[in-house]
Amino acid sequence: MEKTDMDRRQFLIKSARCAALGTCIGAIPAITGLTSPAASATPAGEKVSDLVVARGNAREAVRAAIEALGGMGRFVKPGAKVVVKPNMSFANPPDWATTTHPDVVAEIASLCVNAGAASVLVLDNPLRNIEMCLERSGIKHACSAYEGTEAFGVKDKSAFREVEIKGARALTTTMIMRQVLEADLLIAAPVAKSHSATGVSLSMKGMMGLIYNRRTMHMDMDLDTAIVDLCTVLRPGLTIIDATRILSDGGPGGPGKVITMDRIIASQDFVAADAMAVEMGTWYGKKFKGSQVKHIRLAHERGLGSMDTSSLKVKEVQV
Amino acid sequence: MRLQRLIQILFFALFLALILLASYQAPEFLESDALLRLDPLLSLGSMAAARAFIPKAAVAGLVLIVALFLGRIFCGYICPLGACIDFSDSILSKKRENSFEKTRAFRHYKYLILAGLAGSAVFGISWIAFFSPLSLSVRFFGLVIHPVFLFLEGSVLEVLRPLFAAAGLDHIALASVQAPRFNTNFFTASFFLAILALGLIAPRFWCRNLCPAGALIALFSPRPLFRRRVSDACTGCGRCVRNCPTGAISKDFKGVAQMECITCLKCENICPEKAVSFRIARGVRARAPIDITRRKVIKAGAAGMATAAITLTGLRHIHGEEEPRPLKPSNLIRPPGALPETDFQARCVRCALCAKACPTNTLQPLWFEAGVSGLLSPAVTPRLGGCEQACNLCGRVCPTGAIRPLSFNEKLFAKIGTARIIKSRCIAWEQARKCLICDEICPYNAISSRFLEDHPVTVPFVDEKRCNGCGYCENKCLVTGEAAIVVEATGELRLSKGSYRREARRLGLVFNAKQAGEDHAFDGSGTLPPGFEPHR
Repeated sequence: MEKTDMDRRQFLIKSARCAALGTCIGAIPAITGLTSPAASATPAGEKVSDLVVARGNAREAVRAAIEALGGMGRFVKPGAKVVVKPNMSFANPPDWATTTHPDVVAEIASLCVNAGAASVLVLDNPLRNIEMCLERSGIKHACSAYEGTEAFGVKDKSAFREVEIKGARALTTTMIMRQVLEADLLIAAPVAKSHSATGVSLSMKGMMGLIYNRRTMHMDMDLDTAIVDLCTVLRPGLTIIDATRILSDGGPGGPGKVITMDRIIASQDFVAADAMAVEMGTWYGKKFKGSQVKHIRLAHERGLGSMDTSSLKVKEVQV
Repeated sequence: MRLQRLIQILFFALFLALILLASYQAPEFLESDALLRLDPLLSLGSMAAARAFIPKAAVAGLVLIVALFLGRIFCGYICPLGACIDFSDSILSKKRENSFEKTRAFRHYKYLILAGLAGSAVFGISWIAFFSPLSLSVRFFGLVIHPVFLFLEGSVLEVLRPLFAAAGLDHIALASVQAPRFNTNFFTASFFLAILALGLIAPRFWCRNLCPAGALIALFSPRPLFRRRVSDACTGCGRCVRNCPTGAISKDFKGVAQMECITCLKCENICPEKAVSFRIARGVRARAPIDITRRKVIKAGAAGMATAAITLTGLRHIHGEEEPRPLKPSNLIRPPGALPETDFQARCVRCALCAKACPTNTLQPLWFEAGVSGLLSPAVTPRLGGCEQACNLCGRVCPTGAIRPLSFNEKLFAKIGTARIIKSRCIAWEQARKCLICDEICPYNAISSRFLEDHPVTVPFVDEKRCNGCGYCENKCLVTGEAAIVVEATGELRLSKGSYRREARRLGLVFNAKQAGEDHAFDGSGTLPPGFEPHR
């Protein structure tokens, strides 16, 4: 008996030491100042409402749009860790328009790498089987061409970290992917599509793909208010909306009516980009103002950006 | 290392690799059920129970033909259960009396079990799942070992994730390890481990006394071409007798029960005098004095028929007939392409490779929901996962065609059920709360959200002509516990032959609704689709 007790004690002591070590290791990213929120990555901190609409072939349009915004070097500093958030939540081929076109993701990755990014992580928490989403959407393959670029579907709880949302109206706390919290720049790269609960799913709605517990946003609170709460902590430094084709109805999962638009919308202001995408597209056979989408209106009212597209300096580029 | 051990290990590695590769990532040409079909009991037994020739399972005939020449080499070289038993025996077994004469008491049981299985197959009932070594092994490694490994991997990753993240190893830090969960896994584990535990009584106890697949192969190897011969150099040390894994060697060290010998060549290898050799033999009389009589075989066959008859008269047995009406649970959903129920149960060997392969973990082995004869057969469990639209793996990996191998285009039309909304549980219907998850997720656009008069939010409706039964709605429904939208077997298509596509067309089903203009769920005034507000 005595011997058993000794063993147990030793075991406990050893366990405690291991736990302590583990905690220290876990704390490394926090201590080393990697906690800078993505929001602070907005270049120069200036309030720019500049917005570009580029028309033409997907890759060239992305390149032209970023060029018109001052080039990727404005956003990506050498050695920067970049996270790209496309929509790759469904295991559908690109022509369903339920996921971001792989060419758009590939061009963004290419521009980031050329601007000197240390890594480009393409992240989403897909609704369907991770591998199937990555492959069927074509995004995994698209990323494979660029050094330091890789697409991941992330679902495991341990890959997320609890974040408090100050000033939240509904979503006071949520769990966000660690790599997003530690990134120097977050780029939203959604496909423009309809959404049966929120009207449209664009960059703001897309931020829900970076968190762990989405269910509560649907179940326990006003979804649009919660989306805006989330967007106060997940503010992309750059938004590139894939409107090469839009899912006009039947979203977010499709199948639905796909309209070819051949357009890329890029802006530092994600509210403006979303509002512009709403106004350019045709949804359920009708035209809408950005202000008619509740989460866009709420974000505008809370000062996250501007939905007033008529007052924006919009640059149109044809490639 | 002995040649037999080497080949056995290689086959075991192949076995594990094929199970692991039975997944979405597997290349199209890979037949992950290949080893399963080599089991003659599994292949011929399913054909007997289903009264059908299953072409791709005919390869098992090769094993029997080979047995004519080389004896039971399947048992010694290929069988993964045999490999597991050899491994566990190396830990469990103690030296004991091992001559054939002293260990023959139970040897005939394997033939009686085989006769019993044949008897039950007369009535189309298959108990192969509990006796086929390949079914047992695939089920154990697919439903127990694989998930447990992933669970452990995930647990380690969870602890070390921050470390990898800090080291910049995004590859590992962002890896998602999701261990699948399986019904009946504890039973599957216990059953398999009990077979291994039989090694406490004697080495390869299962193979010597119980395995009907071994018995079937033995029937083809009473006088193989390749036999053990002992030269005059034998000093009678008895080492071969003590070490024979199947106890096939006579106490005179010379004779061997051919039908028990697995040609592992161990005796040749360990003989200190090099007196034992295996060579093409003529004249040496093979002796197999096993305690078996025609009467015993007939009794066993009759007992097998009786088990089938009892099963068929059980209340829960699903006959697939109109009358008497089968007591079938409304939520018993079979995988897409599953044969009509009676054929399905007769053919399915419960290897659970489909469940292992299923990317959404929706396929689960059943307990008694489909009667005793449906034990461990796979069913779709929508609450756990939907049936993925562009996936046909379950049919592709099925060794016996109980689930038909369908092309993507055919599978799309293999409707497995129809979703039904339980309004009293639905928060949009009952509590007037905004929720459109089922509509949002439906990959077939079978759910529409409509405004009702005097109801502040849109509520979901199912169009049964478009519903494929995939169950994503039930899976994602936010309601706690039982979902507010459930898939029921109503409208399932179970074709034993012919095109699902044609049948679906004939019934007016629409599953490839892409680009079809929807009737939009505008509000009462007819101007706004869901999620949009009036202009102000």
